Amino acid sequence: MKAANQTRGELLKDERFFAALLVAPGLLVLLVTTTAPLVYLLWTSLHHANLSMPWMNGFVGLDHYVHMLGDGRFWDALRLTAIYTVTTVVLQLVIGLGLALLVLQIPLGQWLFRLVAILPIVLAPVVVGLYWRTLMLSPSFGLFDVFTTQVFGKSYNWLGEPTLALISVILIHTWQWTAFAFLVLLASLASIPPDLYEAARIDRAGVIDRFRHITLPLIRPAIMIVIIMRAMVALSAFAAIYAATGGGPGTATQILNLYAYQTSFVALDFGYGSAQAIALLIVTLAVSAALFRLRRRGGLA
Amino acid sequence: MTRGGVRRRLAKALIPASATAVLALWAFPIFWAIVVALKSESEVLAFPPSLVFKPTLANFGDSLVGRFSILPEMWTSLVISSVATLLTIVLAVPASYAFARLRLPAGKFLGFYVLATQMLPPVGLVIPYFLILNRVGWLDTYQGMITVYLTFSLPFAIWLMVSFMEDIPREMEEAAAIDRASRLKTLWYIILPQVRGGIAVTVVFVFLNCWDEFLFAVQLSGNHVRPVTVAMYNFVSVEQTLWAKLSAASLIAMVPVIAIGFAAQRHIVKGLTVGAVKGGGRR
Repeated sequence: MKAANQTRGELLKDERFFAALLVAPGLLVLLVTTTAPLVYLLWTSLHHANLSMPWMNGFVGLDHYVHMLGDGRFWDALRLTAIYTVTTVVLQLVIGLGLALLVLQIPLGQWLFRLVAILPIVLAPVVVGLYWRTLMLSPSFGLFDVFTTQVFGKSYNWLGEPTLALISVILIHTWQWTAFAFLVLLASLASIPPDLYEAARIDRAGVIDRFRHITLPLIRPAIMIVIIMRAMVALSAFAAIYAATGGGPGTATQILNLYAYQTSFVALDFGYGSAQAIALLIVTLAVSAALFRLRRRGGLA
Repeated sequence: MTRGGVRRRLAKALIPASATAVLALWAFPIFWAIVVALKSESEVLAFPPSLVFKPTLANFGDSLVGRFSILPEMWTSLVISSVATLLTIVLAVPASYAFARLRLPAGKFLGFYVLATQMLPPVGLVIPYFLILNRVGWLDTYQGMITVYLTFSLPFAIWLMVSFMEDIPREMEEAAAIDRASRLKTLWYIILPQVRGGIAVTVVFVFLNCWDEFLFAVQLSGNHVRPVTVAMYNFVSVEQTLWAKLSAASLIAMVPVIAIGFAAQRHIVKGLTVGAVKGGGRR
Protein backbone atom coordinates (compact mmCIF):
# COMPACT_ATOMS: atom_id res chain seq x y z
CA MET A 1 0.00 0.00 0.00
CA LYS A 2 2.73 2.35 1.02
CA ALA A 3 4.77 1.42 -2.00
CA ALA A 4 1.80 2.10 -4.28
CA ASN A 5 1.37 5.57 -2.77
CA GLN A 6 5.00 6.30 -3.25
CA THR A 7 5.00 5.36 -6.92
CA ARG A 8 1.91 7.43 -7.42
CA GLY A 9 3.56 10.46 -5.87
CA GLU A 10 6.63 9.85 -7.92
CA LEU A 11 4.61 9.53 -11.10
CA LEU A 12 2.96 12.88 -10.37
CA LYS A 13 6.30 14.50 -9.71
CA ASP A 14 7.59 12.93 -12.87
CA GLU A 15 4.66 14.32 -14.84
CA ARG A 16 5.18 17.81 -13.50
CA PHE A 17 8.85 17.73 -14.35
CA PHE A 18 8.12 16.46 -17.84
CA ALA A 19 5.47 19.16 -18.39
CA ALA A 20 7.87 21.88 -17.26
CA LEU A 21 10.48 20.48 -19.64
CA LEU A 22 8.06 20.67 -22.56
CA VAL A 23 7.01 24.30 -22.03
CA ALA A 24 10.45 25.59 -21.03
CA PRO A 25 11.92 26.18 -24.52
CA GLY A 26 8.82 27.98 -25.81
CA LEU A 27 8.47 30.13 -22.70
CA LEU A 28 12.15 31.00 -22.71
CA VAL A 29 11.90 32.16 -26.31
CA LEU A 30 8.81 34.23 -25.46
CA LEU A 31 10.58 35.74 -22.46
CA VAL A 32 13.56 36.77 -24.60
CA THR A 33 11.64 37.87 -27.71
CA THR A 34 8.65 39.66 -26.18
CA THR A 35 9.13 40.45 -22.49
CA ALA A 36 12.72 41.64 -22.74
CA PRO A 37 11.91 44.11 -25.57
CA LEU A 38 8.92 45.33 -23.54
CA VAL A 39 11.18 46.08 -20.60
CA TYR A 40 13.56 47.84 -22.97
CA LEU A 41 10.65 49.85 -24.39
CA LEU A 42 9.68 50.95 -20.88
CA TRP A 43 13.30 51.85 -20.14
CA THR A 44 13.56 53.84 -23.39
CA SER A 45 10.35 55.72 -22.57
CA LEU A 46 12.06 57.06 -19.42
CA HIS A 47 15.02 58.35 -21.40
CA HIS A 48 15.80 61.00 -23.89
CA ALA A 49 16.62 58.85 -26.89
CA ASN A 50 16.62 61.00 -29.99
CA LEU A 51 18.74 59.92 -32.95
CA SER A 52 18.74 63.43 -34.36
CA MET A 53 19.95 64.93 -31.07
CA PRO A 54 22.10 62.18 -29.51
CA TRP A 55 23.99 64.62 -27.26
CA MET A 56 20.79 65.17 -25.27
CA ASN A 57 20.35 61.48 -24.44
CA GLY A 58 19.95 60.52 -20.80
CA PHE A 59 17.50 59.64 -18.08
CA VAL A 60 14.49 61.97 -17.94
CA GLY A 61 12.09 60.05 -15.70
CA LEU A 62 8.45 60.64 -16.50
CA ASP A 63 9.07 63.74 -18.63
CA HIS A 64 7.77 62.12 -21.82
CA TYR A 65 4.55 61.10 -20.11
CA VAL A 66 4.02 64.57 -18.69
CA HIS A 67 4.71 66.05 -22.12
CA MET A 68 2.24 63.59 -23.65
CA LEU A 69 -0.61 64.83 -21.43
CA GLY A 70 -0.15 68.33 -22.83
CA ASP A 71 0.41 67.22 -26.43
CA GLY A 72 -2.60 68.12 -28.56
CA ARG A 73 -1.56 65.72 -31.29
CA PHE A 74 -1.53 62.85 -28.81
CA TRP A 75 -5.12 63.52 -27.78
CA ASP A 76 -6.07 63.93 -31.39
CA ALA A 77 -4.48 60.56 -32.21
CA LEU A 78 -6.32 59.00 -29.28
CA ARG A 79 -9.61 60.46 -30.51
CA LEU A 80 -8.97 59.10 -34.01
CA THR A 81 -8.10 55.71 -32.52
CA ALA A 82 -11.44 55.66 -30.70
CA ILE A 83 -13.39 56.69 -33.81
CA TYR A 84 -11.55 54.20 -36.00
CA THR A 85 -11.96 51.30 -33.57
CA VAL A 86 -15.60 51.86 -32.69
CA THR A 87 -16.82 52.49 -36.24
CA THR A 88 -14.92 49.61 -37.85
CA VAL A 89 -16.03 47.13 -35.18
CA VAL A 90 -19.68 48.22 -35.31
CA LEU A 91 -19.75 48.20 -39.13
CA GLN A 92 -18.15 44.75 -39.33
CA LEU A 93 -20.56 43.38 -36.76
CA VAL A 94 -23.72 44.83 -38.29
CA ILE A 95 -22.88 44.02 -41.92
CA GLY A 96 -21.40 40.64 -41.02
CA LEU A 97 -24.45 39.64 -38.98
CA GLY A 98 -26.87 40.86 -41.63
CA LEU A 99 -25.07 38.96 -44.35
CA ALA A 100 -24.82 35.82 -42.19
CA LEU A 101 -28.58 35.90 -41.51
CA LEU A 102 -29.23 36.24 -45.25
CA VAL A 103 -26.86 33.48 -46.31
CA LEU A 104 -28.28 31.16 -43.65
CA GLN A 105 -31.61 31.24 -45.51
CA ILE A 106 -29.99 30.01 -48.69
CA PRO A 107 -30.23 26.23 -48.93
CA LEU A 108 -27.57 25.76 -51.61
CA GLY A 109 -24.21 27.28 -52.41
CA GLN A 110 -23.23 28.55 -48.95
CA TRP A 111 -19.74 27.26 -49.69
CA LEU A 112 -19.39 29.88 -52.44
CA PHE A 113 -20.02 32.67 -49.94
CA ARG A 114 -17.52 31.17 -47.54
CA LEU A 115 -14.93 30.90 -50.29
CA VAL A 116 -15.33 34.51 -51.41
CA ALA A 117 -15.30 35.68 -47.79
CA ILE A 118 -11.88 34.13 -47.27
CA LEU A 119 -10.33 36.23 -50.05
CA PRO A 120 -10.05 39.65 -48.37
CA ILE A 121 -9.05 38.04 -45.07
CA VAL A 122 -5.97 36.29 -46.47
CA LEU A 123 -4.71 39.31 -48.41
CA ALA A 124 -1.89 41.30 -46.87
CA PRO A 125 -3.32 44.55 -45.44
CA VAL A 126 -0.59 46.52 -47.18
CA VAL A 127 -1.77 45.16 -50.54
CA VAL A 128 -5.36 45.98 -49.63
CA GLY A 129 -4.34 49.54 -48.76
CA LEU A 130 -2.52 49.87 -52.09
CA TYR A 131 -5.46 48.50 -54.10
CA TRP A 132 -7.79 51.05 -52.58
CA ARG A 133 -5.34 53.90 -52.89
CA THR A 134 -4.91 53.26 -56.60
CA LEU A 135 -7.65 51.22 -58.27
CA MET A 136 -10.56 52.25 -56.05
CA LEU A 137 -10.09 55.73 -54.59
CA SER A 138 -7.59 57.47 -56.82
CA PRO A 139 -8.95 60.76 -58.25
CA SER A 140 -10.25 60.55 -61.84
CA PHE A 141 -9.25 56.94 -62.50
CA GLY A 142 -10.28 55.10 -59.33
CA LEU A 143 -13.59 53.24 -59.61
CA PHE A 144 -15.18 55.17 -56.75
CA ASP A 145 -14.37 58.45 -58.37
CA VAL A 146 -15.53 57.28 -61.77
CA PHE A 147 -18.80 56.29 -60.11
CA THR A 148 -19.31 59.58 -58.29
CA THR A 149 -18.37 61.56 -61.39
CA GLN A 150 -20.91 59.68 -63.50
CA VAL A 151 -23.72 59.63 -60.95
CA PHE A 152 -23.27 62.86 -59.01
CA GLY A 153 -21.27 64.76 -61.59
CA LYS A 154 -18.62 65.49 -59.00
CA SER A 155 -15.12 64.20 -58.34
CA TYR A 156 -14.01 63.66 -54.75
CA ASN A 157 -10.51 63.64 -53.39
CA TRP A 158 -11.13 60.57 -51.26
CA LEU A 159 -7.69 60.30 -49.69
CA GLY A 160 -6.72 63.97 -49.87
CA GLU A 161 -9.51 65.57 -47.86
CA PRO A 162 -9.35 65.00 -44.05
CA THR A 163 -12.90 63.78 -43.36
CA LEU A 164 -13.12 61.73 -46.55
CA ALA A 165 -9.71 60.20 -45.83
CA LEU A 166 -10.86 59.08 -42.40
CA ILE A 167 -14.02 57.61 -43.91
CA SER A 168 -11.89 55.92 -46.55
CA VAL A 169 -9.53 54.15 -44.14
CA ILE A 170 -12.54 53.02 -42.07
CA LEU A 171 -14.13 51.72 -45.27
CA ILE A 172 -10.95 49.87 -46.27
CA HIS A 173 -10.64 48.16 -42.88
CA THR A 174 -14.32 47.26 -42.94
CA TRP A 175 -14.03 45.82 -46.43
CA GLN A 176 -11.14 43.58 -45.46
CA TRP A 177 -12.43 42.26 -42.16
CA THR A 178 -16.24 42.10 -42.33
CA ALA A 179 -15.83 38.63 -43.81
CA PHE A 180 -14.32 37.58 -40.49
CA ALA A 181 -17.45 38.58 -38.55
CA PHE A 182 -19.56 36.99 -41.29
CA LEU A 183 -17.75 33.63 -41.08
CA VAL A 184 -17.72 33.47 -37.30
CA LEU A 185 -21.39 34.48 -36.95
CA LEU A 186 -22.49 32.17 -39.78
CA ALA A 187 -20.84 29.23 -38.01
CA SER A 188 -22.50 30.24 -34.75
CA LEU A 189 -25.94 30.68 -36.38
CA ALA A 190 -25.67 27.36 -38.17
CA SER A 191 -25.14 25.57 -34.87
CA ILE A 192 -28.51 26.69 -33.43
CA PRO A 193 -30.85 23.66 -33.33
CA PRO A 194 -33.79 24.25 -35.72
CA ASP A 195 -36.38 22.81 -33.29
CA LEU A 196 -35.93 25.92 -31.14
CA TYR A 197 -37.38 27.95 -33.98
CA GLU A 198 -40.12 25.37 -34.53
CA ALA A 199 -41.25 25.79 -30.93
CA ALA A 200 -41.26 29.55 -31.33
CA ARG A 201 -43.27 29.30 -34.52
CA ILE A 202 -45.88 27.20 -32.76
CA ASP A 203 -46.02 29.90 -30.10
CA ARG A 204 -46.65 32.35 -32.97
CA ALA A 205 -43.60 34.42 -32.15
CA GLY A 206 -42.80 37.01 -34.83
CA VAL A 207 -39.56 37.24 -36.77
CA ILE A 208 -38.24 40.04 -34.60
CA ASP A 209 -39.22 38.30 -31.36
CA ARG A 210 -37.55 35.11 -32.52
CA PHE A 211 -34.40 37.02 -33.35
CA ARG A 212 -34.34 38.86 -30.02
CA HIS A 213 -35.24 35.98 -27.74
CA ILE A 214 -33.70 32.97 -29.47
CA THR A 215 -31.03 33.94 -31.97
CA LEU A 216 -29.38 36.82 -30.17
CA PRO A 217 -28.84 35.10 -26.79
CA LEU A 218 -27.45 32.00 -28.51
CA ILE A 219 -24.94 33.84 -30.69
CA ARG A 220 -23.96 36.27 -27.93
CA PRO A 221 -20.65 34.46 -27.24
CA ALA A 222 -19.72 34.63 -30.93
CA ILE A 223 -20.61 38.33 -31.04
CA MET A 224 -18.38 39.01 -28.05
CA ILE A 225 -15.53 37.09 -29.69
CA VAL A 226 -15.90 39.22 -32.80
CA ILE A 227 -15.98 42.46 -30.80
CA ILE A 228 -12.94 41.58 -28.67
CA MET A 229 -10.83 40.33 -31.53
CA ARG A 230 -11.67 43.08 -33.99
CA ALA A 231 -11.20 45.81 -31.37
CA MET A 232 -7.73 44.50 -30.52
CA VAL A 233 -6.71 44.46 -34.18
CA ALA A 234 -8.25 47.85 -34.98
CA LEU A 235 -6.41 49.47 -32.07
CA SER A 236 -3.08 48.55 -33.61
CA ALA A 237 -4.02 48.72 -37.29
CA PHE A 238 -1.09 49.86 -39.36
CA ALA A 239 -0.33 48.53 -42.83
CA ALA A 240 -3.55 49.40 -44.68
CA ILE A 241 -3.66 52.98 -43.35
CA TYR A 242 0.06 53.45 -43.92
CA ALA A 243 -0.26 52.25 -47.51
CA ALA A 244 -3.43 54.21 -48.29
CA THR A 245 -2.79 57.58 -46.64
CA GLY A 246 0.40 57.32 -44.59
CA GLY A 247 -1.59 58.89 -41.74
CA GLY A 248 -2.47 61.95 -43.82
CA PRO A 249 -3.54 64.26 -45.18
CA GLY A 250 -1.71 66.08 -42.39
CA THR A 251 -2.59 63.96 -39.38
CA ALA A 252 -6.19 63.25 -40.40
CA THR A 253 -5.83 59.45 -40.28
CA GLN A 254 -2.98 59.22 -37.81
CA ILE A 255 -4.27 56.90 -35.12
CA LEU A 256 -2.10 56.52 -32.00
CA ASN A 257 -0.35 53.51 -33.50
CA LEU A 258 0.83 55.55 -36.48
CA TYR A 259 1.70 58.55 -34.32
CA ALA A 260 4.01 56.42 -32.17
CA TYR A 261 5.56 55.03 -35.33
CA GLN A 262 5.99 58.47 -36.87
CA THR A 263 7.50 59.95 -33.69
CA SER A 264 10.04 57.13 -33.53
CA PHE A 265 10.99 56.48 -37.13
CA VAL A 266 10.37 59.79 -38.86
CA ALA A 267 11.07 62.32 -36.10
CA LEU A 268 13.62 59.83 -34.66
CA ASP A 269 12.47 60.62 -31.11
CA PHE A 270 12.55 57.07 -29.77
CA GLY A 271 12.05 58.15 -26.16
CA TYR A 272 8.77 59.93 -26.77
CA GLY A 273 7.69 57.32 -29.33
CA SER A 274 8.24 54.61 -26.72
CA ALA A 275 6.09 56.51 -24.22
CA GLN A 276 3.31 56.68 -26.84
CA ALA A 277 3.64 52.95 -27.50
CA ILE A 278 3.30 52.32 -23.76
CA ALA A 279 0.19 54.53 -23.76
CA LEU A 280 -1.25 52.44 -26.61
CA LEU A 281 -0.45 49.27 -24.65
CA ILE A 282 -2.31 50.65 -21.62
CA VAL A 283 -5.30 51.58 -23.79
CA THR A 284 -5.27 48.08 -25.34
CA LEU A 285 -5.14 46.40 -21.93
CA ALA A 286 -7.92 48.62 -20.56
CA VAL A 287 -10.20 47.98 -23.53
CA SER A 288 -9.62 44.23 -23.46
CA ALA A 289 -10.16 44.09 -19.69
CA ALA A 290 -13.44 45.99 -20.08
CA LEU A 291 -14.60 43.75 -22.93
CA PHE A 292 -13.68 40.53 -21.11
CA ARG A 293 -15.57 41.72 -18.05
CA LEU A 294 -18.57 42.56 -20.23
CA ARG A 295 -18.41 39.07 -21.71
CA ARG A 296 -18.25 37.36 -18.31
CA ARG A 297 -21.25 39.33 -17.11
CA GLY A 298 -23.07 38.40 -20.31
CA GLY A 299 -23.94 42.02 -20.79
CA LEU A 300 -24.47 43.87 -24.06
CA ALA A 301 -25.15 41.98 -27.26
CA MET B 1 -52.83 31.70 -53.10
CA THR B 2 -52.85 33.58 -49.80
CA ARG B 3 -51.12 36.89 -49.33
CA GLY B 4 -48.70 35.28 -46.88
CA GLY B 5 -47.80 32.71 -49.51
CA VAL B 6 -46.94 35.38 -52.02
CA ARG B 7 -44.86 37.21 -49.51
CA ARG B 8 -43.02 34.07 -48.54
CA ARG B 9 -42.28 33.29 -52.18
CA LEU B 10 -41.06 36.81 -52.75
CA ALA B 11 -38.81 36.59 -49.69
CA LYS B 12 -37.49 33.25 -50.92
CA ALA B 13 -36.43 34.80 -54.19
CA LEU B 14 -35.24 38.05 -52.66
CA ILE B 15 -32.91 36.57 -50.06
CA PRO B 16 -30.52 34.76 -52.39
CA ALA B 17 -30.66 37.69 -54.80
CA SER B 18 -29.69 40.28 -52.22
CA ALA B 19 -27.05 38.04 -50.66
CA THR B 20 -25.54 37.47 -54.08
CA ALA B 21 -25.58 41.20 -54.77
CA VAL B 22 -23.69 41.92 -51.54
CA LEU B 23 -21.24 39.14 -52.35
CA ALA B 24 -20.60 40.50 -55.82
CA LEU B 25 -20.10 44.01 -54.46
CA TRP B 26 -17.68 42.66 -51.87
CA ALA B 27 -15.64 40.67 -54.34
CA PHE B 28 -15.55 43.50 -56.84
CA PRO B 29 -12.24 45.14 -55.81
CA ILE B 30 -10.47 41.80 -56.26
CA PHE B 31 -12.25 41.16 -59.54
CA TRP B 32 -11.24 44.65 -60.66
CA ALA B 33 -7.61 44.03 -59.75
CA ILE B 34 -7.67 40.96 -62.00
CA VAL B 35 -9.25 42.99 -64.82
CA VAL B 36 -6.69 45.78 -64.49
CA ALA B 37 -3.85 43.25 -64.40
CA LEU B 38 -5.00 42.01 -67.83
CA LYS B 39 -4.92 45.50 -69.38
CA SER B 40 -2.11 47.42 -70.96
CA GLU B 41 -0.94 50.47 -68.98
CA SER B 42 -2.45 52.88 -71.51
CA GLU B 43 -5.75 51.02 -71.39
CA VAL B 44 -5.79 51.46 -67.59
CA LEU B 45 -5.81 55.23 -67.99
CA ALA B 46 -8.75 55.22 -70.42
CA PHE B 47 -11.70 57.21 -69.16
CA PRO B 48 -14.24 55.94 -68.40
CA PRO B 49 -12.58 52.59 -67.58
CA SER B 50 -13.14 50.07 -70.35
CA LEU B 51 -14.65 46.69 -69.71
CA VAL B 52 -14.15 45.49 -73.26
CA PHE B 53 -10.49 45.35 -74.20
CA LYS B 54 -7.88 43.02 -75.58
CA PRO B 55 -6.52 41.16 -72.54
CA THR B 56 -2.78 40.72 -72.24
CA LEU B 57 -0.68 38.49 -70.04
CA ALA B 58 2.33 40.77 -70.44
CA ASN B 59 1.96 42.21 -66.91
CA PHE B 60 2.04 38.79 -65.35
CA GLY B 61 5.06 37.92 -67.48
CA ASP B 62 6.85 41.09 -66.39
CA SER B 63 6.07 40.45 -62.73
CA LEU B 64 7.43 36.92 -62.92
CA VAL B 65 10.50 37.04 -65.13
CA GLY B 66 10.66 40.55 -66.60
CA ARG B 67 11.94 43.88 -65.41
CA PHE B 68 9.49 43.91 -62.49
CA SER B 69 10.10 40.36 -61.32
CA ILE B 70 9.00 39.84 -57.75
CA LEU B 71 10.28 36.27 -57.58
CA PRO B 72 13.39 37.27 -55.54
CA GLU B 73 11.18 38.97 -52.94
CA MET B 74 8.82 36.01 -52.89
CA TRP B 75 11.80 33.74 -52.27
CA THR B 76 12.84 35.97 -49.35
CA SER B 77 9.34 35.83 -47.88
CA LEU B 78 9.29 32.07 -48.39
CA VAL B 79 12.56 31.60 -46.49
CA ILE B 80 11.58 33.87 -43.59
CA SER B 81 8.05 32.51 -43.30
CA SER B 82 9.09 28.85 -43.60
CA VAL B 83 11.87 28.99 -41.04
CA ALA B 84 9.76 31.04 -38.63
CA THR B 85 6.89 28.56 -39.05
CA LEU B 86 9.16 25.57 -38.51
CA LEU B 87 10.66 27.03 -35.32
CA THR B 88 7.22 28.01 -34.10
CA ILE B 89 5.83 24.50 -34.55
CA VAL B 90 8.83 22.83 -32.91
CA LEU B 91 8.42 25.07 -29.84
CA ALA B 92 4.61 25.25 -29.74
CA VAL B 93 3.61 21.60 -30.11
CA PRO B 94 5.31 20.23 -26.96
CA ALA B 95 4.30 23.33 -24.97
CA SER B 96 0.66 23.03 -26.02
CA TYR B 97 0.62 19.35 -25.01
CA ALA B 98 1.83 20.27 -21.54
CA PHE B 99 -0.73 23.09 -21.26
CA ALA B 100 -3.63 20.95 -22.49
CA ARG B 101 -2.93 17.60 -20.90
CA LEU B 102 -0.31 17.53 -18.16
CA ARG B 103 -0.23 18.79 -14.59
CA LEU B 104 1.99 21.79 -15.19
CA PRO B 105 3.24 23.73 -12.15
CA ALA B 106 1.70 27.24 -12.28
CA GLY B 107 0.03 26.19 -15.53
CA LYS B 108 -2.75 28.73 -15.29
CA PHE B 109 -0.39 31.62 -14.73
CA LEU B 110 1.93 30.51 -17.54
CA GLY B 111 -1.01 30.12 -19.91
CA PHE B 112 -2.08 33.64 -19.07
CA TYR B 113 1.46 34.85 -19.66
CA VAL B 114 1.45 33.38 -23.18
CA LEU B 115 -1.87 35.11 -23.77
CA ALA B 116 -0.62 38.43 -22.43
CA THR B 117 2.41 38.47 -24.74
CA GLN B 118 -0.10 38.80 -27.57
CA MET B 119 -1.54 42.02 -26.14
CA LEU B 120 1.59 44.01 -26.86
CA PRO B 121 0.88 46.27 -29.89
CA PRO B 122 3.37 45.63 -32.73
CA VAL B 123 4.55 49.24 -32.62
CA GLY B 124 5.63 48.57 -29.03
CA LEU B 125 7.88 45.82 -30.35
CA VAL B 126 9.21 47.44 -33.50
CA ILE B 127 10.74 50.35 -31.52
CA PRO B 128 12.87 48.27 -29.12
CA TYR B 129 13.65 45.74 -31.86
CA PHE B 130 14.97 48.48 -34.12
CA LEU B 131 17.31 49.67 -31.37
CA ILE B 132 18.35 46.16 -30.29
CA LEU B 133 18.84 44.69 -33.77
CA ASN B 134 20.75 47.81 -34.75
CA ARG B 135 23.12 47.26 -31.84
CA VAL B 136 23.74 43.56 -32.54
CA GLY B 137 23.95 44.08 -36.31
CA TRP B 138 20.86 42.01 -37.11
CA LEU B 139 18.91 44.73 -38.93
CA ASP B 140 18.06 43.68 -42.47
CA THR B 141 19.03 40.04 -41.86
CA TYR B 142 17.14 36.78 -42.08
CA GLN B 143 17.88 35.82 -38.47
CA GLY B 144 16.57 39.21 -37.28
CA MET B 145 13.30 38.91 -39.19
CA ILE B 146 12.76 35.30 -38.11
CA THR B 147 13.32 36.23 -34.46
CA VAL B 148 10.83 39.07 -34.70
CA TYR B 149 8.22 36.88 -36.38
CA LEU B 150 8.39 34.44 -33.47
CA THR B 151 6.94 37.17 -31.22
CA PHE B 152 3.48 36.90 -32.75
CA SER B 153 3.63 33.37 -34.20
CA LEU B 154 4.55 31.52 -31.05
CA PRO B 155 1.75 32.62 -28.67
CA PHE B 156 -0.79 32.21 -31.45
CA ALA B 157 0.46 28.72 -32.35
CA ILE B 158 0.56 27.57 -28.71
CA TRP B 159 -3.07 28.53 -28.15
CA LEU B 160 -4.27 27.13 -31.45
CA MET B 161 -2.48 23.84 -30.77
CA VAL B 162 -3.91 23.69 -27.23
CA SER B 163 -7.40 23.66 -28.74
CA PHE B 164 -6.46 20.73 -30.99
CA MET B 165 -4.75 18.86 -28.14
CA GLU B 166 -7.90 19.19 -26.05
CA ASP B 167 -9.86 17.37 -28.77
CA ILE B 168 -7.85 14.15 -28.43
CA PRO B 169 -9.74 11.48 -26.47
CA ARG B 170 -8.10 10.90 -23.10
CA GLU B 171 -8.32 7.10 -23.34
CA MET B 172 -5.43 7.15 -25.79
CA GLU B 173 -2.98 8.33 -23.16
CA GLU B 174 -4.38 6.19 -20.39
CA ALA B 175 -3.81 3.10 -22.50
CA ALA B 176 -0.28 4.24 -23.06
CA ALA B 177 0.31 4.90 -19.35
CA ILE B 178 -0.69 1.34 -18.46
CA ASP B 179 1.82 0.07 -20.96
CA ARG B 180 4.39 2.16 -19.14
CA ALA B 181 5.56 3.63 -22.39
CA SER B 182 7.79 6.52 -21.56
CA ARG B 183 6.16 9.94 -21.67
CA LEU B 184 8.18 11.17 -24.58
CA LYS B 185 7.25 8.07 -26.56
CA THR B 186 3.59 8.74 -25.73
CA LEU B 187 3.89 12.23 -27.10
CA TRP B 188 5.72 11.10 -30.22
CA TYR B 189 3.88 7.92 -31.17
CA ILE B 190 0.40 8.49 -29.78
CA ILE B 191 -0.29 12.21 -29.49
CA LEU B 192 1.50 13.55 -32.55
CA PRO B 193 -0.29 11.30 -35.09
CA GLN B 194 -3.58 12.40 -33.53
CA VAL B 195 -2.91 16.12 -34.01
CA ARG B 196 -1.34 15.95 -37.46
CA GLY B 197 -4.36 17.78 -38.89
CA GLY B 198 -4.14 20.43 -36.17
CA ILE B 199 -0.46 20.97 -36.87
CA ALA B 200 -1.22 21.42 -40.57
CA VAL B 201 -3.84 24.06 -39.79
CA THR B 202 -1.44 25.83 -37.42
CA VAL B 203 1.28 25.80 -40.09
CA VAL B 204 -1.15 27.41 -42.55
CA PHE B 205 -2.10 30.26 -40.23
CA VAL B 206 1.39 30.96 -38.94
CA PHE B 207 2.78 30.97 -42.47
CA LEU B 208 -0.02 33.24 -43.66
CA ASN B 209 0.54 35.76 -40.88
CA CYS B 210 4.29 35.83 -41.57
CA TRP B 211 3.82 36.21 -45.33
CA ASP B 212 1.39 39.13 -44.92
CA GLU B 213 3.32 40.98 -42.20
CA PHE B 214 4.35 44.53 -43.09
CA LEU B 215 5.29 46.77 -40.13
CA PHE B 216 8.31 44.75 -38.96
CA ALA B 217 9.29 44.00 -42.54
CA VAL B 218 9.36 47.62 -43.68
CA GLN B 219 11.18 48.94 -40.61
CA LEU B 220 13.58 46.13 -39.72
CA SER B 221 14.51 44.95 -43.21
CA GLY B 222 14.18 46.16 -46.78
CA ASN B 223 17.54 46.25 -48.57
CA HIS B 224 19.40 42.94 -48.46
CA VAL B 225 16.39 41.13 -47.11
CA ARG B 226 13.23 42.39 -48.77
CA PRO B 227 9.96 40.54 -48.08
CA VAL B 228 7.25 40.70 -50.71
CA THR B 229 5.00 43.10 -48.75
CA VAL B 230 7.78 45.71 -48.70
CA ALA B 231 8.37 45.18 -52.42
CA MET B 232 4.68 45.88 -53.12
CA TYR B 233 4.78 49.06 -51.04
CA ASN B 234 7.95 50.30 -52.73
CA PHE B 235 6.44 49.56 -56.11
CA VAL B 236 3.69 52.13 -55.60
CA SER B 237 6.04 54.75 -54.16
CA VAL B 238 8.43 54.40 -57.09
CA GLU B 239 6.21 53.40 -60.02
CA GLN B 240 3.19 55.51 -59.06
CA THR B 241 1.17 55.05 -62.21
CA LEU B 242 1.90 51.49 -63.29
CA TRP B 243 -1.38 50.09 -62.00
CA ALA B 244 -1.52 47.10 -64.32
CA LYS B 245 1.94 46.01 -63.19
CA LEU B 246 1.00 46.59 -59.54
CA SER B 247 -2.17 44.54 -59.91
CA ALA B 248 -0.41 41.66 -61.63
CA ALA B 249 2.52 41.63 -59.21
CA SER B 250 0.34 41.81 -56.11
CA LEU B 251 -1.94 39.06 -57.37
CA ILE B 252 1.08 36.83 -57.90
CA ALA B 253 2.42 37.80 -54.48
CA MET B 254 -0.87 36.82 -52.88
CA VAL B 255 -1.26 33.49 -54.70
CA PRO B 256 0.45 31.47 -51.93
CA VAL B 257 -1.78 32.82 -49.15
CA ILE B 258 -4.94 32.57 -51.24
CA ALA B 259 -4.07 28.97 -52.09
CA ILE B 260 -3.40 27.87 -48.52
CA GLY B 261 -6.36 29.92 -47.27
CA PHE B 262 -8.66 28.00 -49.61
CA ALA B 263 -7.00 24.71 -48.69
CA ALA B 264 -7.67 25.37 -45.00
CA GLN B 265 -11.11 26.90 -45.52
CA ARG B 266 -12.92 24.34 -43.36
CA HIS B 267 -10.74 25.36 -40.42
CA ILE B 268 -10.64 29.07 -41.03
CA VAL B 269 -13.22 29.94 -38.35
CA LYS B 270 -11.36 27.92 -35.75
CA GLY B 271 -8.04 29.42 -36.74
CA LEU B 272 -9.44 32.93 -36.66
CA THR B 273 -11.35 32.69 -33.41
CA VAL B 274 -8.83 30.78 -31.33
CA GLY B 275 -6.35 33.44 -32.22
CA ALA B 276 -9.20 35.82 -31.51
CA VAL B 277 -10.14 34.90 -28.01
CA LYS B 278 -6.61 34.31 -26.95
CA GLY B 279 -4.89 37.19 -28.64
CA GLY B 280 -4.88 37.18 -32.40
CA GLY B 281 -2.68 37.72 -35.39
CA ARG B 282 -0.56 40.72 -36.01
CA ARG B 283 -2.15 42.19 -39.07
